[in-house]
Amino acid sequence: MPSKRYKQKATIFMVSAIVILVACIYLNFNPIMIFTEFHYVRDLLGEMFMPNYQILYENTSTGISILQTLSMAFLGTLYGGLIAFVLAFLAASNTMPYKAVRIITQVFVSMLRVIPALVVVLVFVIAVGPGSFSGVLTLVIVTIGSFAKLFTEIIENVESGPGEAIFSVGASRLQVIRYSIIPQIMPSFIANLLYAFDVNMRAAIGLGIFGGGGIGFQLQMAKSVLHYKDVTALITIIIILVILVEKLSDYLRKRILGEGKLG
Amino acid sequence: MKGQATYSFKRYRKFVLPLILLIAVTEGAAIVCGATFDKLETGIVKGLSFLQFMFPPDWAAFKDMLEPAFQSITIAALGTIFGTILSVVFAVLAASNISHSWVRNTARFLIGLERSVPEIVILLLLIAAFGLGSMPGIVSLTLGCIGMLGKLLADIIEEIDPAMIESMESLGANKLQIIWFGVMPQIIPNLVSYALFRFEINIRLSVILGAIGAGGIGYELDYSFSMLQYHRAFTAMIVVMVMIFCTERLSYMLRKKFKVEGALQ
Repeated sequence: MPSKRYKQKATIFMVSAIVILVACIYLNFNPIMIFTEFHYVRDLLGEMFMPNYQILYENTSTGISILQTLSMAFLGTLYGGLIAFVLAFLAASNTMPYKAVRIITQVFVSMLRVIPALVVVLVFVIAVGPGSFSGVLTLVIVTIGSFAKLFTEIIENVESGPGEAIFSVGASRLQVIRYSIIPQIMPSFIANLLYAFDVNMRAAIGLGIFGGGGIGFQLQMAKSVLHYKDVTALITIIIILVILVEKLSDYLRKRILGEGKLG
Repeated sequence: MKGQATYSFKRYRKFVLPLILLIAVTEGAAIVCGATFDKLETGIVKGLSFLQFMFPPDWAAFKDMLEPAFQSITIAALGTIFGTILSVVFAVLAASNISHSWVRNTARFLIGLERSVPEIVILLLLIAAFGLGSMPGIVSLTLGCIGMLGKLLADIIEEIDPAMIESMESLGANKLQIIWFGVMPQIIPNLVSYALFRFEINIRLSVILGAIGAGGIGYELDYSFSMLQYHRAFTAMIVVMVMIFCTERLSYMLRKKFKVEGALQ
């Protein structure tokens, strides 16, 4: 006789398997198709090789698009991070005495969090025209949305002792922020910005496809004119770029936070 | 500044050079991107008047949005489920205390390679191979999971107390038994927490992937924009916002329930 616990587990397993199966049928998704229809992938791979690296030196637009993607990620992180920094002080309970301001800021930040990046980029493409500037603005919004809340939590978690000490000897609220809170949060602020740069770098590639410019746009163009050899070359460039940025960001974060403190 | 010791140049010197460098890089980046404040000013005016255009939402289209939204959620859920299962396999292969070093290095290399390819690029390739549809979307989200969850879980498995594995080995358990009865129970809380976190990301991604050709609400959104039906686009946007908000809340609540130390907050 199977035990009660075994029966329970078996039921849960069966129910979830059926739900997954129904979902797959609903979406017309057949995982086995990946293997039965694999000749499509083979054909594609055949067309993709060998990568055409001539686009790197034949056409200056590739080099410029790489620079554009890096610049988009950099500017988006910098401005988004600075705005998020200011907003975080307005939303943290230990730096902002007025509850109304705190709540307005928090609601504003959560609004930015839930607005889909796709809408942001489509609106900015209409507002400032397609190109990397609309990508920068989108990244600014996305960065504020994802990091303002984190910075608020960091500010709220600082040790209150040093601040209270200088407050008790007559420091103003701004002086408390300047001499007690900022020195405490600066390392984790910079480390988070480096992480944001890494994330934004990947996002910048995606945004290019919707008119944000940069290497994502080049990739989309090469794909839509069926130049698959260029596509392969661009993908390898993207992989190298992402790995380099990730390694750089990891290295700098380790130097700032010290070994072993990486979250 | 002489006489005022606290504000002396000497004290701020180590900030000046990095600051100049930062400003120079920012300027360079701004030139490359064509970013100017004039452009921003006219852009904001234009963008705001455009937002007025979108208002009010077209509530009649609301019921047309429900099925695509459900499709998007299903795509994200299936991608997360398949991705989590696959990433457990990859994590076990990539853990140094379970696998041979060459298996481990290969698995780590594959995970790292996947991590550095954005999901959108995978989707573009899959669409080139298989055509439009939900299948490329699900597969690219599945693969996306491996890069993130595989690495996190492998690190957790490597931190498991070696005494546990040795004691199971000494009792004659084989590799599969060690993995199933020794490793799995220990990583389940983290696994659930990471999978929920990834589900949040996948919901956001499924909207973007949908616009490129995976179907669902993202497609509705992009289509309404390109057909200049802005009121309809606004409705789709509200549906997406509700979707993102609800998943975030739900995942937060569930993760709180499976409270684990060191898990993502």
